[in-house]
Amino acid sequence: MITKQEMQKAAEFIRKNVKADDFSFSVTGSEDLLTRFAQNGITQHITGDKLNVSLGVDFDTKNGQASGNNLDEASLKYLIKTAESMAKLNQPDPENMPSEGAHKLPDVNNYSQNTADLSVEKIVDDIKICVENAKKKNAKLSGISEKCLDHTMLTTKNGFEGFDNSATFSHSMTMKKEGVETKVSRSVKDHAKLDFPALINQLNTQFDSLSNPVQIEKGRIPVILRPAAVLNWLQYLIWTYDRRTADEGHTPFTDQIGKKFFGDKFTFRSSLDDPELNAAKFLNGGVPGENIDWIVNGVIKNMSATRYYAKQKNLKALRPYNVIVEGGDTSEAEMMKMVKRGVIINNFWYIRPIDRKIGEWTGLTRDGVLYFEDGKIQKSVTNFRWNEILHDATKRILAMGPSVQQEYYAKVPTLLINDFNFVDVTTF
Amino acid sequence: MDFLSLAMDTAKSLGADYADIRIQKSSTEMIYLRNLSLKNTSLNEIYGYGIRIFKNGAWGFAHNNVFTQDAVNNTVKKAFAIAKESGRVKYGDGLVLAHERGYIDSYKTPYCLDPFDVPLSEKVELMMEVNKTMLNYAEIKLAMFMLECRKDEKLFASTLGSRLDIHTVYIEPTFTATAVAEGDSQSRTFSHGGQAKGWEWVKSLNLMDKAEQVAEEAIMKVHAGSLGAEERRTLLLNPNHIALTMHESVGHPTELDRVLGWEADFAGISFATPEKLGNYQYGSKIVNFVANNTLEGGLATAGYDDDGVPNQKWYIIKDGILNEYGNTRATAPLIGLDMSRGCNRATNYFDFPINRIPNLYLEPGKDPLTPQELIADTKDGVYIEGRGSFSIDQHRVNFQFGGDMFWEIKNGKKTRPLKKILYKSNNPEFWNSVDAICDKRFFQTFGVTNCGKGQPGQRGRMTHGGALTRFRNIRVGGSQ
Repeated sequence: MITKQEMQKAAEFIRKNVKADDFSFSVTGSEDLLTRFAQNGITQHITGDKLNVSLGVDFDTKNGQASGNNLDEASLKYLIKTAESMAKLNQPDPENMPSEGAHKLPDVNNYSQNTADLSVEKIVDDIKICVENAKKKNAKLSGISEKCLDHTMLTTKNGFEGFDNSATFSHSMTMKKEGVETKVSRSVKDHAKLDFPALINQLNTQFDSLSNPVQIEKGRIPVILRPAAVLNWLQYLIWTYDRRTADEGHTPFTDQIGKKFFGDKFTFRSSLDDPELNAAKFLNGGVPGENIDWIVNGVIKNMSATRYYAKQKNLKALRPYNVIVEGGDTSEAEMMKMVKRGVIINNFWYIRPIDRKIGEWTGLTRDGVLYFEDGKIQKSVTNFRWNEILHDATKRILAMGPSVQQEYYAKVPTLLINDFNFVDVTTF
Repeated sequence: MDFLSLAMDTAKSLGADYADIRIQKSSTEMIYLRNLSLKNTSLNEIYGYGIRIFKNGAWGFAHNNVFTQDAVNNTVKKAFAIAKESGRVKYGDGLVLAHERGYIDSYKTPYCLDPFDVPLSEKVELMMEVNKTMLNYAEIKLAMFMLECRKDEKLFASTLGSRLDIHTVYIEPTFTATAVAEGDSQSRTFSHGGQAKGWEWVKSLNLMDKAEQVAEEAIMKVHAGSLGAEERRTLLLNPNHIALTMHESVGHPTELDRVLGWEADFAGISFATPEKLGNYQYGSKIVNFVANNTLEGGLATAGYDDDGVPNQKWYIIKDGILNEYGNTRATAPLIGLDMSRGCNRATNYFDFPINRIPNLYLEPGKDPLTPQELIADTKDGVYIEGRGSFSIDQHRVNFQFGGDMFWEIKNGKKTRPLKKILYKSNNPEFWNSVDAICDKRFFQTFGVTNCGKGQPGQRGRMTHGGALTRFRNIRVGGSQ
C-alpha cells in the first residue's frame, strides 16, 4: 500500500518537471479485499492494491489530463509528456479555471484501524455464520463482504496540498427461499461498529415477515419507505440536483432556489461533524469540505456547483459528499395506524429518469413488499412499478422515523408517504 | 522475464487445480465537450495483471501492477491463499470447470486507422464543429459530445497451456442536442453505442449531417405533443432501440450466472430457468436470437474469452423457443454441460471475469420487407427510435421503456412527432407479440459499452442488432 512519503516524493517530481502554466496532481492508493458469495457458497474472492495517478495541466486555458497506475519516475515523465502534449493540441476552454491555492482543511477522520486490521479469515468466518443462519431456514444466501482502504493526495501548482485516508467495510446479503427474497446491507467506516448479530436479526425478521406474495391492485397507495429505499431514491434525486442545469432550464429546480419546493418535513444536509459518517476533507479539485444545508424544511438552500459555475454565480463549489436526512420519532407501528391501508417497501430497484424537466422517475420495489391495513401487516404482496415525481412525493410525507445509518456516508429515516404512484404490478 | 510462465509454474508448484494469468494494458481516451467548453480531455492507461487460482472447487483472484519476479510470485501466493479461504464456504460440493484445452493464438480487431494515432486536435476540431452546428439552432441550449476510444492489449496464459495475445479496440462517439422551449427541455442523441472499428468508421458517419438532424429533431420534440392514457397499441421499434430492449429482456435473463442465482444480491436473477430450455415460448415463431462472439465489429469479439475459451456462435432463442444460455467454464457444468460458450469477461486487469452477455442480435426477417413497407402496413401505431428511459425488474420479467424519438403512425404514414412516450410489457408477452421483422438489407448493429454488472461493478461491452421490428398490442401511453 502506498505511503504518504511516496506520494509526496511523486508530487515533488511533478512540481519540478511540469512545464505547463498550471497543474493539478492526484494520487489514490487503494487496498481491496472483496468476498462474494451466492447460493450459500463463495463464488468470487479478490485481493490486491490499486493505484490511480492523475495529472491535469493547463497551458493558458488549454487543458490536458493523463492518468495511469504507476509512480516510478519513468511513468511520471510519461504522464507529464502525455498531459502536456494533449493540452498543447487542445483548444482553449472558455470555462477553464486555475487550480486551487492553499487552504486550511477541516479536521476530518475517515479512517478506522479496526477496519484496516480486518483479516480475510475473519471476513470468511462472518460469512460462514451468515450462511449457516440461512441454511437453518432452508434458504439460500448471496451477497458480498468488502473491506476497502484508500489513501489520497491532491496537490496543485497554486499551492493546494491535501491528504486523506479512508476506510470502509460493506456487507450485504440477500436471503431467498422459493417466492420469498429479501436483503439487508450496511456499510460503515469502523468495522467494529457493524453489529453483525443485529444485521442477521434484521434479515431474519424481514425474511420471516414475508410469505409467497399475492398481487394487489396498482394505484396511488400510502407507503412506508424503509431507509434503504429512501436512500436509493434520494441518490437519484441528488444526481440531478445541480445549479447550472437548473438555471439552464433542464430540471424542475429552475427558478426555485430559495423557495419551498420540497415538502415541509424534508431537510437534507451534508456534515463534517458526524463521527460515524465519512466526509469530504476536500472535493472538486481542492475546495475544502464544509457543513452545508441543501434543503431545509422544503426550501432549496444550496445546489451542487462546479468551481467554474460557483465563481460565475457566487456559489459554494460543493456537492453532497454525505447524506443526512433529518428524521422524526414516529415508529413503523405508529405509521401503520396513521393511514387506513398501505405497503411497506424494503427497497427500490432500477430507478431511471422518465422526464428530467418534470423530475419524474420510474423504478420498481424489491426485497419484499408488505401490505398493511387497520394498523397491522396483512400479507406479502408482489412488487410494483412506480412512476413518481420525487420532489412532489416529499410534499406527501406524513411521518418520519429516526434517521439511522444506512451506509458509511448516509443517515436517513423511514418515511410514511401518502399516495405513492404505483402504475403496474409485477408477477412475483 | 516471462511472467506468464513464471506465474503458471508457481501456481502449479503450489498445487493449483487450475490457474490463469491475464496481463492487460487498457488505454482510454475521453473527450467531453459541453457546449463549447472542453470538460474532459484525458488519456488513462492502466497496466497490470490478474491471477486466478482454482483450488478444491473454489476461486481466488489477486491483482498487481508491479512486474518483478517477487511480485508475480507473491500475487500467485495471495490468490492461492484466498482460494483456500473460499473453500471454507464452498459452493455446493465445489465448483467444477467445463472441459477445455489450451490454445496458442492471437486476435486483433480489424481496423485501418488506429483511433489512438489520430491527433487529439483533429478529434477536438470535429467535435467542436458538431457542437457548433447544433448550437446554431436558437432553441438548442445545450450541445454535448462525448468521444471515447479504448484499446485493450492482453496476454493470457493458463495451466492448460494456453498462450493468447489479444488486441481489441473500440470507438464510441455520442452527441446530444437539448432544446428548451415552452417550459420544457427535450433531447435527441446520436449514438451507435460503440463499435470495434477503426477511425475510418467515424469518418464514414457524416457527423455534420447527423448533428443537423439531431438538433432539428430535438426542436421538433420539444414542441411535440404526447399521447394520452395508456392503451394497447402497435409499436415499430428501430434497431438502435431494440438493441437496448434485447439487452435487458433477453441478454441478461439468459446469462447463466443470473439463472443460477449468482447475482441474486445485486443485479438480480432470471425467470428463464433451466427447465424452460427447449420448451419455453420466449417469442413468436419468427423470433430468433443469435449469440455471436465472432461478429466482426462486435464489442465482445476478441477471439477468446477470459477463460481462454474460443469465441462461438449459437442460438439463444430458436424459432421463438428458449434454446441455450451464455455461460462460462464455471457455470456451464452446473446445468450438465461439458463445454463453455465462452462468455467470461473482465473489464480491467484487476477485475475478476464474470458471465457476460455475448454479442446478441435478432435475426432479420426471412421474407423481403422494407421499413417503408412495414410502416405502410401499419394502420395505427407508434414508431420509436433510439434509447431513452429503461427499467426492468430483477427477475427480468416486467419492464418499462421510453425512447429517444417518437412518431405517430396513422394509416400507414408517420403523421407527427411525439414526446414523453412510455411502453410497458413483460416476458414472454413482448417478444411473442412480434409479427414482422424487416429483412437483412436493413439489419444494423449497435453497441453497449456501459453494461453495469458485478460486485465490484464492472463496465461490460457487447454488440446487439436487428432490423425494424413490429410489436402488436403493447401498452403504450404518455408519461405524466
